[in-house]
Amino acid sequence: MLVTLLRPTGGHARVAGFDVADQPAEVRRRIGVALQDAALDPLMTGSELIELQATLHGIAPRKVRARGAELIERVGLSQAADRRVGTYSGGMRRRLDLAMALIHEPEVLFLDEPTTGLDPTSRLTLWEEVRRLRDEGTTVFLTTQYLEEADQLADRLGIIAEGRIVAGGTPAQLKAEIGTPHLDLVLADRSDLGAAREVVAPLGDHRPTTEGCHLSIGLEHGASDIAPILRALDDAGFAVAELELKQPTLDDVFLAKTGEHLEGAAEPEPAPEAELV
Amino acid sequence: MRASCVALARRALRNAFRKPQFLAPLVLFPTLFLAVNVGGLERTTSLEGFPEVDGFLDFQLAAAITQSLLLGGVSAGIAAALDIEGGFFDRLVASPTPRLAIVLGRVLAASVIAALQVIYFLVLGAIFGASIQGGVLGVLCVLAIGTVAGTGFGALGVMIALRARNASTVQGIFPLVFVVLFVSSAFFPANLLSAPADVIAVYNPLSYIADGMRQPIAFGNELAPLLEGLAAAAGVALAATGLSLLALRGRLRRS
Amino acid sequence: MSALGQDLRTIAALMRRGLNEILRVPGGAVPGVLAPTIFMLGLSAAFGKAAQLPGFSADDFRTFIVPVGMLQGAGFTGAATGVNLARDIEQGWFDRLLLAPAKRPVLLAGVVGSACLRSLLPAAFLLIVAFALGVSWPGIGALLLGAFLLMGFAAAVACYATVLALRFRTQQAAPLMQVGSFVVIFFTTAYAPRELLSDWLRALADINPVTHVLEGMRQGFVADVTWSTTWPALLALAGLVAVFGTLAVRGMRRQGF
Repeated sequence: MLVTLLRPTGGHARVAGFDVADQPAEVRRRIGVALQDAALDPLMTGSELIELQATLHGIAPRKVRARGAELIERVGLSQAADRRVGTYSGGMRRRLDLAMALIHEPEVLFLDEPTTGLDPTSRLTLWEEVRRLRDEGTTVFLTTQYLEEADQLADRLGIIAEGRIVAGGTPAQLKAEIGTPHLDLVLADRSDLGAAREVVAPLGDHRPTTEGCHLSIGLEHGASDIAPILRALDDAGFAVAELELKQPTLDDVFLAKTGEHLEGAAEPEPAPEAELV
Repeated sequence: MRASCVALARRALRNAFRKPQFLAPLVLFPTLFLAVNVGGLERTTSLEGFPEVDGFLDFQLAAAITQSLLLGGVSAGIAAALDIEGGFFDRLVASPTPRLAIVLGRVLAASVIAALQVIYFLVLGAIFGASIQGGVLGVLCVLAIGTVAGTGFGALGVMIALRARNASTVQGIFPLVFVVLFVSSAFFPANLLSAPADVIAVYNPLSYIADGMRQPIAFGNELAPLLEGLAAAAGVALAATGLSLLALRGRLRRS
Repeated sequence: MSALGQDLRTIAALMRRGLNEILRVPGGAVPGVLAPTIFMLGLSAAFGKAAQLPGFSADDFRTFIVPVGMLQGAGFTGAATGVNLARDIEQGWFDRLLLAPAKRPVLLAGVVGSACLRSLLPAAFLLIVAFALGVSWPGIGALLLGAFLLMGFAAAVACYATVLALRFRTQQAAPLMQVGSFVVIFFTTAYAPRELLSDWLRALADINPVTHVLEGMRQGFVADVTWSTTWPALLALAGLVAVFGTLAVRGMRRQGF
């Protein structure tokens, strides 16, 4: 809806200073969009595609070629520019997609899950590019399923679950909200988790457990809370097989924000998404 | 082995009926063509040398059936090619399924669809005034020849799919269907064809298949054309099945 | 830089892309270019003797059906551009076009323009084969008129196919596009002059505007080009393009917003 491809059913939104529903043409002039499926024509070469995009966006005919070449160079596709897009790898397509989104120097760039399916090197390259764009003054609106990516790149971020924004702020703020580190425990004998839970209940908040750990306890005072917990379990006869001290991450923020919704509700998963603005 | 064939055939049929937009062209297009041919060329029955018929529809019906069966073969081929493209074929090959069943299952499905196609056109013809001179026995003969021929065309389709490996190539066969059918005596009496169809039609198995089906509809049961039709259909079916099994072996050896 | 100049440039760029289908896909053009010729050859081989019927307005069945083949080629091309659009929509390329500042009718003009241009190819091939087989030369005037009618028909079918592509947004709508153009060509005086058609087909042919287009194309081949046969063809074509063009533009405007 924000990129004017879908009509909103209610509410308002403004992008680059223009209302999305009332002034779509103005919005389109100022935004660049890289679509998730990297919608490209396999029969054309990279150069041809970017020059077509330039023509479509009204760039003057004599500047089309130069501008196209400039962007191809910027995303590192100069070698492959004269080959047909059908021969490109997934990473190359994404890069071409990005170049095409930038052809008219947009104020706001929308990237929809840009690193999904990319190998680690390509992902890092793309992160570099996003940082560079931000430094040059472009506002980047990025959606991702990778919380690490959001953590790395975002100045501000929002978490959406089941269609509503459930959290927003800078990554540091969000992590501070969840605040404290927690302790993940694996017990030697998991036959009486209920009793174990009761033992440690007075010592710290229970956190939703993730796979592989039996108990997860919030440590309000940090690492100094660990010893009492272990002592309590030991006194009650529970042997601890493994323990891990975890600092808050966006994963925790997410789990906390959406995990609370899951309690008592039907089974997961709402598609988790985070936005950076 | 039999269980696998039946299971795969049932899958093929289920998939076919779940996507009626793929099935419809098999009968709709020949129906349209039939309508246009009859509407436009009805008067040709008065040409000198045209066999005695009760109307051009009686004559054309067998052509429509043959055309529909050929398109059914193309359709079976496309479905098989999609399986290969999509990876389902590889899944089957990697499983304990007997290799033969992979081909025969689809061929079996093709024969079921073929029978349905024949029935459709016989009913359609009856509704629009075609007479079936040969009565119930005639209907059974048409059904027999048509089903066998349709099975053969299905096997041909599978063979092409195994060789071509992608669906768009198989789809490109579509115009070829018309070519081979035009140079046969399916649409018009053999003695009234123009060059070069008149020569080629003599050697074209489709001529005998169409004539064999036409016999009970337009003229009445007569052994010779019926046997010729059945023989041609069976010949095509056996040859095609053999070729598709060879293609299967070739494909498996390559992978 | 004028707005009109920009629009024309956009249309030219889109048409250029539309030609890739023929130029860059090995064998991609073959079915579309060959099919009408194959049909013409096949029909005349099977039904050739029909020309001997009393009341048939041409000496030779093949000459009679040449214009049918030409229209078929144009119809098929129009449908093919619709299928390409459906594929573009399915694969997301169309979204990219919607995001560009180009106006919707301009995008449509690009699709239709490439259909018009491409429609000349199968017709040219068919004519070469037909002349080689002895069909008589209809005269330059008739050929130019034919080319014009052809492009108009391709445009109308392209608009029809565009409407379907925008509505269904998938390539599975392709058979509907192709059958549509096939039907409308054959429910005319395609096979025989109107007097020889059976009653129901004659009734259909009489109300089918494409009959006029067909007769307009045929006149040079079987007789002479006259105004009385030409103006109904032009009028019918104008009507078809107006109707389907409007529907297509409306469909385009409803995309995104």
